[in-house]
Amino acid sequence: MSKATTVTKLKKQENLIGYLFASPWLFGLIVLGIFPIFMSLFFSFTNYNMISAPTIVGFKNYEILFTNDDLFWKSLGNTIYHVVIAVPLGIVVGVGLALLLNNKIRGMGVYRTLFYLPNVVSVVAMTLLWLWLFQPNFGLINELFKPLYDLFDMEPLGWYLDQKLSKLTLILMGLWTAGGSMVIYLAAMQDIPVTLYESAEIDGAGWLKKTIYITLPLMTPSIFFNFIMGLIGSFQVFTIAYIMTSGGPSRSTYYYAYYLFDKMMIDKAMGMASAMAWILLVMVLIVTIFALRLNKYVFYLGDES
Amino acid sequence: MTETVLKRPKYRSRKRRRIIVHSVLHIVLVLCSFVFVFPFLWMLFTALKTPAELLKGISVFFPAEPQWQNFVSAVQKIPFFMYLKNSLIIVLSVMTGTIFSATTAAYAFAKLKWKGRDKWFIVMLATMMLPIQVILIPTFVMYSWIGWLGTRLPMIVPAFFGGGAAFYIFLLRQFFKGIPKEMTESAIIDGANHWQIFTKIMLPLSKPAIMTVALFTFMGAWNDYFGPLIFLSNPDHWTLALGLRSFQTQYGGQYNLMMAASILIMLPTLILFFLAQKTFIEGIKFTGIKG
Repeated sequence: MSKATTVTKLKKQENLIGYLFASPWLFGLIVLGIFPIFMSLFFSFTNYNMISAPTIVGFKNYEILFTNDDLFWKSLGNTIYHVVIAVPLGIVVGVGLALLLNNKIRGMGVYRTLFYLPNVVSVVAMTLLWLWLFQPNFGLINELFKPLYDLFDMEPLGWYLDQKLSKLTLILMGLWTAGGSMVIYLAAMQDIPVTLYESAEIDGAGWLKKTIYITLPLMTPSIFFNFIMGLIGSFQVFTIAYIMTSGGPSRSTYYYAYYLFDKMMIDKAMGMASAMAWILLVMVLIVTIFALRLNKYVFYLGDES
Repeated sequence: MTETVLKRPKYRSRKRRRIIVHSVLHIVLVLCSFVFVFPFLWMLFTALKTPAELLKGISVFFPAEPQWQNFVSAVQKIPFFMYLKNSLIIVLSVMTGTIFSATTAAYAFAKLKWKGRDKWFIVMLATMMLPIQVILIPTFVMYSWIGWLGTRLPMIVPAFFGGGAAFYIFLLRQFFKGIPKEMTESAIIDGANHWQIFTKIMLPLSKPAIMTVALFTFMGAWNDYFGPLIFLSNPDHWTLALGLRSFQTQYGGQYNLMMAASILIMLPTLILFFLAQKTFIEGIKFTGIKG
């Protein structure tokens, strides 16, 4: 009897100590994470400029955005363009680089380090560097392409100054950091049991067959992870456009998060900005749920055996 | 490629074919490395050029006479050392705060049983997946209510409450779990309380994991642009990332100086990365395995 009460007492004590240790983080999670989510939902139904108290306007913010705001649709279109191209392209390049390195070659570690390098620098510095590389008149890229331009008798490309190419320019710059996901893919590839390859070799499979039937299927979990994270990240693309193009030319790189930023920081229209944030949340949620349905095509090692 | 295929029957041993394949592979890899690394070199060459040399594109590949004073001018054009000081204040505070909140939370997750423990963790992972704006707007408003806008506090205080620390908590939790139970249990028999176990046993034994967290937090806070852009409205508090942006808006055409300034802001993270590559790559792999 007394022993049982001591045990419950100890358990209660551990419960308390557990909460004490977790309390800084838990406090932050509730006050700076969960509570704000509901607060922004409330704001989205109000008119609030941070000077006078919020006034409730019902669904008006959403109504204006959907029916009477060309920039909303324009920025959304730009963002979808970015997501649809940047995410798959990033995966193809990342997996491609990892496949190149997954060949038991000498100096693999050195190549991996070099490919990863762009990921450690500040986004601002990286964007300024590419602003210079893409500079249409005397930047490195157009200089290198000069023979091609001459050959086909064409005008040098304007890159970020050309509204047809500006989004693509930003996406190409983004590929420079593909080494980040490559490290994850490579780690996943190296976790694949050697025995699988050995038995495939006995059956006479070459590199291509081994890649298609063993490597790629077994990498689907990490591809899937990067796909989801890439989707969420790409929907929020902002800084590179803010630095490189200021949303131009002709708003061609004015992305959704950029418009939201302007609503929040320039117009101080917190209600409208919150409505945009919630629309973004719902979009990301829907896309993620659709993406999660792809999960049935993901192989997890050990599932079948 | 076709050439190697055609010639293939001629090679008798597999070993020779392997050598050919690996040579081709190395050529491809060197070309790829070039794409990833050359921009850095071009940045350095640019930083050392005169304005006249800039206009000549690649016909002037290396600067005739390296203009090292470009770095000096870049530093003098903006209040560089004030920005550096501000960056260091924020980076060091964020590192301290994150290590404090992440280690305590990780200890609670790894070594203690408490109600709702696992549910809370899932809640945190779920909030991480949300677009940041949903949380950013209300916190911005909250900071304005308590008069923190225009100060550095919104950049610093959240770190002490686990802001952005989910991944580190996860990493530390795994590490703490690997520390044998016997050590903590014998300490309890000797009359130690959990705080003593945490500070005297766990933290000293977890130095490698804490170093990883410190490294990642440093990189994150040093490179952060979006947070300072939102919260540091007072130019006296601007960090190097914001300073570099203001450099661009003021002296945008002077690419040599802009590249010099960019190199200066990149240098600490590049050096740290080279010194601690292994820790870094292991940490990145960990992120992937989490998913």
